Amino acid sequence: MSRRRRVSPVVWLLLPWALVYGAFFVFPFLFSFVLGFLHYNPLNVANTTFVGAGNVTRLFGDADFHSALRNTLFFVIGTVPVTTTLALALAWLLHAPLPMKDAFKAAMFLPSILSVVVIALLFKLFYAPGGALNETLRALGLQTHGWLTDPATALPAIMAMDIWAAVGYYALVLYAAFTSIPESLYEAATLEGAGHWATFRHVTLPMLKPALGFVLVMTQGGPLGSTNTLVMMLYDTAFRRLDYGYSSVIAYAVFILSGVFSVFALRRMRSQTPVQQRGMPA
Amino acid sequence: MMRRSHMRALGVVAGLCLLAAFSCGKKSGSRGTSVHLWQFWDIAVVAPIIAEFEKQNPGLHVEVEQLTWATGLEKIQAALASGTQPDVCELGSTWLPRFSYEGVLEDLTAVYEAERDSFLMWDSALYKGRVYGLPWVQGSRVLFINRELFKKAGLDPDRPPQTWDELLQASQKIGALGNGVYGFGQNIGEKYVLYKKFMAFAWGNGGDVFDERGNVVVNSPAMLEALEFYLKLAPFSLQEKQEVLDQYFKTGKLGMQISGAWNVKNYALEAPNLDYSCALVPKPAADRGEHVSFAGAEMLVVFKGSPQKEAAVKLARFLQAYPQAKAVSLAAGSVFPAAREAMNDPAFTKDPRIKVFVEQSLTSRTPPAHPGWNEMEEAIDHAVEEAMYGRRAPRWCLDDAAKEITTIAARFNQK
Amino acid sequence: MMRYLRWIVLLVAIVLMAYPLGWMIAVSLRTSEGLNLRYYADVWNSGPFDRYFINSLAVAAVVVLGNIVFCTMAGYAFARYRIRGGKLLFFLVLSTIMLPKQVILVPLYIEMQRLGLIDSYWALTLPFLVDPFNIFLIRQYLLGIPTDCEEAARIDGAGELFILFRVVFPMLTPVLAVVAIHTTLTNWNSFLFPFILTNSTSMRTLPVGLALLAQGAYSIDWGHLMAGAVLSALPVVVAFLIFQRRIIGGLTTGMTR
Repeated sequence: MSRRRRVSPVVWLLLPWALVYGAFFVFPFLFSFVLGFLHYNPLNVANTTFVGAGNVTRLFGDADFHSALRNTLFFVIGTVPVTTTLALALAWLLHAPLPMKDAFKAAMFLPSILSVVVIALLFKLFYAPGGALNETLRALGLQTHGWLTDPATALPAIMAMDIWAAVGYYALVLYAAFTSIPESLYEAATLEGAGHWATFRHVTLPMLKPALGFVLVMTQGGPLGSTNTLVMMLYDTAFRRLDYGYSSVIAYAVFILSGVFSVFALRRMRSQTPVQQRGMPA
Repeated sequence: MMRRSHMRALGVVAGLCLLAAFSCGKKSGSRGTSVHLWQFWDIAVVAPIIAEFEKQNPGLHVEVEQLTWATGLEKIQAALASGTQPDVCELGSTWLPRFSYEGVLEDLTAVYEAERDSFLMWDSALYKGRVYGLPWVQGSRVLFINRELFKKAGLDPDRPPQTWDELLQASQKIGALGNGVYGFGQNIGEKYVLYKKFMAFAWGNGGDVFDERGNVVVNSPAMLEALEFYLKLAPFSLQEKQEVLDQYFKTGKLGMQISGAWNVKNYALEAPNLDYSCALVPKPAADRGEHVSFAGAEMLVVFKGSPQKEAAVKLARFLQAYPQAKAVSLAAGSVFPAAREAMNDPAFTKDPRIKVFVEQSLTSRTPPAHPGWNEMEEAIDHAVEEAMYGRRAPRWCLDDAAKEITTIAARFNQK
Repeated sequence: MMRYLRWIVLLVAIVLMAYPLGWMIAVSLRTSEGLNLRYYADVWNSGPFDRYFINSLAVAAVVVLGNIVFCTMAGYAFARYRIRGGKLLFFLVLSTIMLPKQVILVPLYIEMQRLGLIDSYWALTLPFLVDPFNIFLIRQYLLGIPTDCEEAARIDGAGELFILFRVVFPMLTPVLAVVAIHTTLTNWNSFLFPFILTNSTSMRTLPVGLALLAQGAYSIDWGHLMAGAVLSALPVVVAFLIFQRRIIGGLTTGMTR
């Protein structure tokens, strides 16, 4: 039955994606896996040695890794519920006939279109001695503080920044959910109406949010490493300590963790939605 | 139907194979017969020096590239990985030992033997009895004092603190002035800086990270003493990042801080009316210890396998030589030649403040030449910070650092 | 009554959110000689900000174009053809969206290094030419469109390529607008990968240029830094203000489909 004279169009259609995917995703992904078992030496590649599970065992005993892990988890657990709650509140406030609604929507969306670097600089100024926060406190007669230099406040400060950047966006997404599927507050709250993607981006993304850009520009690991997150450690291990193999193991740790989170979120979502109805890929 | 998904798979595999094929082939740079130099200073500064070299060596052509501090290290190691590294390169003294350890540098011991007494700052280039780099320019850290604040606090600005006690007293008195004024500046909350200030006190007290036999002694009594003294300064100090400390000093709100020559340049531009002077880092007591400080040195190396080895070494020696190093230093304004001749050159001794820097370099040190130093300095940063935050007793902080440094060192012992 | 209360609370919330932004702009304008644009001029001339701008523009243009063409092709394939193992394949597409990109950061860097592509426009564009999220968007959209026009064209004897680009493509305008906007936004603001994959000043994009500015001479010079930040953000903000209806509508609709 194969009287095919030319190659099926599907091949050509999917070829660009396949090439980019294969070359710049699959290959690095697998390479990263292999790297984890090596001591890759960027200064003298010929001297790369095989260390087996050495990098992995090193990870388990690494205090820096544990603290970075703690910070990352703290970050995720701290930002996600707060962002969701605030976003929900804002969405509810919007859900009424109000004057200047478009202006409000635009203002809320604005922070999310700024680049990570701009936001980081903005908040670096905000928290600085002489910056907006401290000056306001001073004007009110209150104590100023080294927000970014005190290990107790550095990470929460960055979390607040992250919430600021994300809240408007999620509020709008939830708002859209309200307006298109106004069935119940509960439903919207569990992000059903907001769809598949909002959930993934909302859960997976915060996992990675201890975004390098933020931390790099702001604190480079911070006081006593209190803002050292997994991603920051990954970057540092690879590009400052020139230990690519170990950095790959850290990367896989991030991958596994975010995988766990995603599966968890997916489960929760699945158990509540008749997914078919929304036309989602089943 | 079957064919389609197979073709799919083929497409993906094809992508991978192409990549693998490319990756296996090493790139050989087409570099002709020029000598390639990578360094961190403005091209405008280096160009006349290069022109002079080419004049003195007809037939040799030099290609210069300027690196930035932010991305230089990465670029160098990227080049090494793809075989496109330069012939001569400038490396920081804290990076050099790692490169020596990896065996990618040309042995320059012969040059060392010829020149050793003419230059300071060889330490970071020494590795296992051989020398792999030439000291080019360096910058020590000295004590900056605000003369006005000194006068206000009843201190004599012409008699800066010479000992730890005097430093402590001065900090106390200036701190007592109130009004947002601080006595001393202590670095905190960022990488790469803290240990430099602390080690100045530690070294001055006879402490160090390793002893002559290579044992880790970062938790020795001398080190503990230095840390405890450093903590004594805390109540009268502004603990902040370097940029904030500089800011406070510039605006006359900070009495003293330990910093580098780049500030002399900056203050001239940004706070021309600031009345300040420089002094050697205080030593433990009048009869004990030394005025030791931290110095960052820029070294010149030649990468192994350079097709222009002889020309490269020639160029490196030329750059290192006093007249050239002097030109670079004067143009940059924040460093000094590593050559001893600078000590007596009026160009550097005329300004009393600059003179202090030059004097200090005679007793300044670069960190231990250990390939794992970049990680070790973090352990020290961490220990001092922990002690500063009052998290744990200084003793345990240093003990932890010792453990950490031993672990790091162990990782480099395979060679 | 409730309505006004809501409005006021909302207003307060918005003002609080805008506060840091306002401060940033104020600082960037407040020079020692009163309010003017001196810092902006300084920053524009210091790093070659015009070069950064052009780089960002060029890279964004190429990446958006690539996405529009290639993602349409892939989205069309997934929507209109029954592919053996298609579910698995599409799952692979989705997986890349869910995966943390940082996992491939270092190996991608090494790969680019070995290919000699570090510090080139290739490095800034190739890996980003086909964003799986766009494939998803297009596929979803297409699933909601009946195949009548395509069938008719097929019966008339049109080739598949013709059908794709002359019949289907024009129908995709709404979703392609979302694709364009989304891709431009993420690409323009992208920091991490451009930072890692380039070294030279001449290859930097705006976010990278800004970050290095913050680490360099102006590290605590708030006036200059904020001017730089505003300059970097300006193109996006202006574009946003012009297209806001479309952007807000499109992105959230894409979500709820």
